[in-house]
Amino acid sequence: MRRRRSLDDLDEDIRDHIARETDENVGRGMTPADARDAALRKFGNVTLAKEGVRAVWIPIWFDQVLQDARYGFRMLRRNPGFSAVVILTLALGIGLNTAVFSVVNAVLVRPLSYASPERLVWVATYDDRSPMEFVTAPDFLAFRDQASSLDRIAAFSIGMERVTAKDEVVPARIATVSHEFWDLAGMSPALGRIPSAGEDAIVLSHAFFERAFAGDGSVVGRPVTVNERQVLVAGVLRAAFRPQLPPPPAAAQLPPGDLDGYHDMVVRPPAPNAPGVQLFSVFARLKPGVTIDEVRSELETVRANQRRANPDRPGPPRLRVVPFSEKIVGRARTPLLVLLGSVILVLGIACANIANLLLARASARQKEVAIRTAVGAGRGRVLRQFVVESLILAMIGGAAGLLVARAGLAAMLRLIPQAVPRLSETTIDSRVLAFAFGASIATALACGIAPGIALWRTNVHDVLKDGARPASASAGGLRVRRALVAVELALAAVLLVGAALMIKSFWRITAYPPGFAPDRVLTMKFQFSGARYRETQPRRAYVDELLRRVRSTPGVGAAGVSSNGENRLLLMIEGAPPLPVEKRPVVSMTVTSAGYASAIGMRVLKGRWLSDDEPSAVYVINETLARRHFAGEDPIGKRILLPNGPDPRNAQQVPVVGVVADLRYANLESAAEPELFTDYQHTRPVGLNLAIRTAGDPSASAPAIRARLADIDPTQPLFDVKPLDVALADSIAPRRFNVILLVTFAASALLLALVGIYGVIAYSVAQRTHEIGVRMALGAQRREVVRMVVRQGMVIAIAGIAIGIAAALALTRVIASLLYEVTPTDPPTFAVVVCALMATALAACCGPAVKAALVDPIVALRCE
Amino acid sequence: MQREFTHLDVLGEAGIHLPSPRMSTKSDRERIELLQGTLDLLILRTLLLGPAHGHAITKAIERSSDDVLQVEQGSLYPALHRLIKRGWIAFDHGTSENNRRAKYYRLTPKGRKQLDVETSKWETLSRAIARILRPA
Repeated sequence: MRRRRSLDDLDEDIRDHIARETDENVGRGMTPADARDAALRKFGNVTLAKEGVRAVWIPIWFDQVLQDARYGFRMLRRNPGFSAVVILTLALGIGLNTAVFSVVNAVLVRPLSYASPERLVWVATYDDRSPMEFVTAPDFLAFRDQASSLDRIAAFSIGMERVTAKDEVVPARIATVSHEFWDLAGMSPALGRIPSAGEDAIVLSHAFFERAFAGDGSVVGRPVTVNERQVLVAGVLRAAFRPQLPPPPAAAQLPPGDLDGYHDMVVRPPAPNAPGVQLFSVFARLKPGVTIDEVRSELETVRANQRRANPDRPGPPRLRVVPFSEKIVGRARTPLLVLLGSVILVLGIACANIANLLLARASARQKEVAIRTAVGAGRGRVLRQFVVESLILAMIGGAAGLLVARAGLAAMLRLIPQAVPRLSETTIDSRVLAFAFGASIATALACGIAPGIALWRTNVHDVLKDGARPASASAGGLRVRRALVAVELALAAVLLVGAALMIKSFWRITAYPPGFAPDRVLTMKFQFSGARYRETQPRRAYVDELLRRVRSTPGVGAAGVSSNGENRLLLMIEGAPPLPVEKRPVVSMTVTSAGYASAIGMRVLKGRWLSDDEPSAVYVINETLARRHFAGEDPIGKRILLPNGPDPRNAQQVPVVGVVADLRYANLESAAEPELFTDYQHTRPVGLNLAIRTAGDPSASAPAIRARLADIDPTQPLFDVKPLDVALADSIAPRRFNVILLVTFAASALLLALVGIYGVIAYSVAQRTHEIGVRMALGAQRREVVRMVVRQGMVIAIAGIAIGIAAALALTRVIASLLYEVTPTDPPTFAVVVCALMATALAACCGPAVKAALVDPIVALRCE
Repeated sequence: MQREFTHLDVLGEAGIHLPSPRMSTKSDRERIELLQGTLDLLILRTLLLGPAHGHAITKAIERSSDDVLQVEQGSLYPALHRLIKRGWIAFDHGTSENNRRAKYYRLTPKGRKQLDVETSKWETLSRAIARILRPA
């Protein structure tokens, strides 16, 4: 207010002041014109006075920054090519960074969407010999009823169920949940209600409600058939609700996807003679103020009592209590941080490139700067002008980067949605915007200061002298620019090594042994359930029928079933010294059939594969089992003990009839582990994968095969129908995600480095046109000129690459855990990267070198 | 209207440097830089005698100092505005002797107190400097 009023009258005040002085002068006898001149002289610089007054009210830098900004925009419009290159580079650098940061933000930074997420813990028991983590029903009940440090504890287990909707059986991913789950997960229905305790009722996800019931609200409150049982549909969840749960264990063999429904269950202790116990995933909320260590020690005590009370069902020996978020995203942390680090390197390269461009332009602007300095602009003011100009560029680049990030995120989510837990939650929120903004500011400062400093020592007099060649200051600038290019190459080298190691790992992991042709195999899953399949015999009959029908389908080769190592066996070999239960090695056991080995292309190394009419049970073992547990002896004919009840003397003796090569046929990421195969005729099949060798594209034969199999038993749907190579690719989705991103970053880095070297060399050739002309006039050969230019570029390149390789040798340890059968210092990989970078640098030098060789000495000398 | 006073601003970059409150003495050869804030003190002292417009303030300072101090008029206005901002002086619109509208600056109570503070500070300073220059 006051400011406005004071400033408004300022002109009038000054005019008035000068008029008075003029009047006085006239009074002293001057002519009016002299009087006015004298008054103006006495007053001094009017504009300065006004600026001084303005500065009292408005911080002067504000005015000046506006001025700089106006000027900056003018400069941008005047050099559209330059501006476009800088903005595109920035959009790439900031866009990639923002995209990766928004994933990091969603996965690692943003808390879980539960109430008091920091108090949630994952509770599990496990055995060192197995990757499985679970809690048995009796343990869960003991934790729930006895642990005083827990506010609430919930159990759930996820499986494929068959829901009959609109006369059609739909496979659905259903979580069976203890009643505490509803509250702990914070579920609130959009329609209907949450089941009451002990009610046999189900709540559907919104997506499933839309998909299977076409969004028909009348289904709520009515029973539907779930696995041939009538279950009440109590409600439908909100569309946005998606509980954050750890991925189901690999052994569950569930196709990736969101949960379709939640089924309330009552957890009961096992009946005294029941053959097994129920296993659950369990998470809990701590009481406020309780630490994780306190909970762990309390649960240990509860479990110790529990094990003493039930010596025949001791459960796994070890207990794990970790923050729930750690369980959900813990494995994604290292890869994501590696990606973030890499993408920051890309931004570093982009910065170096832009600083280079600005430096090149700065030398062109020497005269302008000299004039500004000559008329009184301070060094600080000149520096600020450059920073403001690059701020404008960075802001535009940052805005464009946000668009790049959005497009990139959409592509990521479409390509590999299940690669990273919580990836689907990724959004561009305020934190991401702040990051993009901060990155833009940092970029602007980093890029804008370099040219400012290069011009710091501009000698006003020299530059303004007529006809002076603006070479003196650019020598320093060129030195800075060469250093920047070397840094770029070093960063690119680090990125390329990282990406190359990941690619080699990827290549190793997807290198299939001869004979294994997953792109010619169609797979589908089925799981027995319902009253009809309680006995083992109907299951075998079903598999028999399934295989018979597949074989009679035209265009189909071998076919077989496999449980993909779902069962586990404590290995005892006949004749070997007996070990106590907790020392016995765990091996995975796959229930399979005769056609399976030839369907997928498993190689028999010794003995024979299983047949479909074995008179009694036989085992085929894999190489790793043979090597590890039959050390040096021929396993064929040896017998493995299959326990039959708790008494080891009742164990059945099963002969080993063959050894097959190790094959990662279900999950590429898993290491080779001891595995034994047995036929479904002598084991009870639970869930099986059907594998069918097809003559052509498996996807093309899928509909015909499905049609033939559909009516064996409509209550047992076949699901997850896909070619084996697709299923295998899904099993390494996180790895694919990392590789795709790292390769994108490395490619960007290489491109930017290429542009960087080219820019510097081309610039220095342009600067030296005169010199080259002189050399050639004095008899230098074109070949020598080319060599000179290339040598100049390659010296920078070699220095940068050497630094980068040294840094990479130190840094690749970080990604050691992400590599597969490749050491972090793999010499061939490093060699390839060095060659690729050298070739790039050489290619970048060639253009300018040729241009230098084509310099016409006459023209070059005349133009000076 | 204001254009007629503006110097040729080729680069649109006027005001790169802030003018510091500066006065010139009678002879340009003896020009000395006075301590910052001195002009503020003199304005406050002048306004103690009663409200005055800008031109009158410079005249009063020059007259009272026997024309030893010449206020560089361009720096007067920034100083006046600085004092307004601090609340030490205020202004009213009035009409001057020859019927011209003018801004009359006057001392506020706060400014009066500040004048005492500044005066005693100045006296302390000048005594101290005098003692150094002419040791007894």
